[in-house]
Amino acid sequence: MMEFFLANQSVFDFFLLTLGFSYSQQIVLRSGVFSLASAAFAALGSYGCAYLVMRSGMPVALGIVFGALIGAAAGYLTSVPLARLRGVYQAIATLALVEVTVAVALYAEPITGGAVGFNGIPKSIGTWQLLLAIFGVGYVLYAMSHSRIGRGFDALRQDEYVAASLGVSSRSQHTLAFIASGLIGGLFGALQSMYSYSIEPHQFGFGFMVSTLAAIVLGGRRTLMGPVVGSAIVILLPEIARPLAEYRQIVVGAVLVIVVIYAPQGLADTFIAWLSHRKTDASAKTAAHEITGGSNGHA
Amino acid sequence: MATLELKDVRRYFGGVKAVDGVSLRVRSGTVTGLIGPNGSGKSTVVNLIAGVLKLTSGEINLDGTVISAEPADNVARRGVARTFQNIRLLPEASVLDNVVIGFYRLEKASLMASLLGLPSSRRESRELRERGRALLAQFDMSAYENVAAGGLAYGYQRRVEMMRAVASNPEILLLDEPVAGMNDVEARALGKIFARLAEDGMGVLVIEHNTRFVSELCQEVHVLDGGRLIAHGSAQEVMRDPAVIAAYLGN
Repeated sequence: MMEFFLANQSVFDFFLLTLGFSYSQQIVLRSGVFSLASAAFAALGSYGCAYLVMRSGMPVALGIVFGALIGAAAGYLTSVPLARLRGVYQAIATLALVEVTVAVALYAEPITGGAVGFNGIPKSIGTWQLLLAIFGVGYVLYAMSHSRIGRGFDALRQDEYVAASLGVSSRSQHTLAFIASGLIGGLFGALQSMYSYSIEPHQFGFGFMVSTLAAIVLGGRRTLMGPVVGSAIVILLPEIARPLAEYRQIVVGAVLVIVVIYAPQGLADTFIAWLSHRKTDASAKTAAHEITGGSNGHA
Repeated sequence: MATLELKDVRRYFGGVKAVDGVSLRVRSGTVTGLIGPNGSGKSTVVNLIAGVLKLTSGEINLDGTVISAEPADNVARRGVARTFQNIRLLPEASVLDNVVIGFYRLEKASLMASLLGLPSSRRESRELRERGRALLAQFDMSAYENVAAGGLAYGYQRRVEMMRAVASNPEILLLDEPVAGMNDVEARALGKIFARLAEDGMGVLVIEHNTRFVSELCQEVHVLDGGRLIAHGSAQEVMRDPAVIAAYLGN
């Protein structure tokens, strides 16, 4: 068991990193914002942390905190112009942000190292630190989703007019979601830079965006388990399908299509909904019984 | 005690004068009716009060504070709740969650308490669920607590929407055709609930087609036709008014 784990430890670490990025993606989707900006937040956190640690000699822990804060600030700044957009227009605007971020990382060579990026970063982050970060973020997201913030997010996602009629401010709640998304994205971006020896612009591009989004689509966008299941599939499936060599991405694509058709809520969310349905089916049956019994009595 | 006041409110859509100079008052403790034929501008009035639509001219104030320039969520936080002509629930959420979100404007947990799951936030969430359950019991909906609201039958969806509006304990409650599609028995049962809410101090504005329902429930009735108020008074006076009869039945 232990041997198996050690042999696959790097896969597990990448799963934890992907999970962190998926949470950054999920929080905005949950509040009803169709943002794809998580890749940009991760890039900013990652480059920010690497620059501070490598060029100005900042301690690693402080660099990671700053990486997260840079992400949060970027999240806030993104939320300002995006407050006027909805749905697919938000997706396109944030897609542009991701591409611009990659382009800046490529061309601002004196700061970012251009196409080569940062290399020889001392590895100071391992599995335990990543786990700690996941549990920390997971706890806050859990507390948040059971508080008035979570209720406001859920209302906004399902019907913005209704949410407004109940006093939920889309502006402030969307800003909050963006800041949270930026903070989480920046944090895990920073952790990745201190984990993986080197960072370069293209790892935060279109492919990154698609894989975090795929993790949410596969797992689900409402529950905390959604990204866990989704990230596990996104990371593990290519490993399992390794014998297929260059065709292994086809398997990922096929699974994605099957999930979208048969479990459009995502695997984890569908399963959790099914569990609670079984419970309510039972109580609804008693209810139907009581009502028919009651009306007969009154008649 | 609260008073909602509309002063010469107008709303034009291009050349269409949907609401053309409406003035009326809704006082707490009373049920006021707003009736009129299809297309007379009733729902537009609700949307103007709720802040969903902006006024072309005029003023709406709540206890002297002008609210007509504010966005919808601000108006809601001031204590103006509404229901929708076409029922709008949170379809994925359970019946209980649909009611609990109604408490939103009354919640006090701070941002930090909510993010960190501090006891104050957890306690509040727990208490609101209990209050939500009590409200479900009042409306005979306890058995449906965990059912997704989108899957309920029409009459039950209406009740959920009503509970959600009542949950926010509003000063002013705007009901847009609350008994549409209901039979007389159901309508009367709902009417009793509105009357009791008014007795408890809420100001209720009912928009309706059903003139009999309105005449049983409302102390004062306004009649809207083509965006203008053509009559107001007690239900009996209004029903006898030749202008009202002409508007409903034609000349």
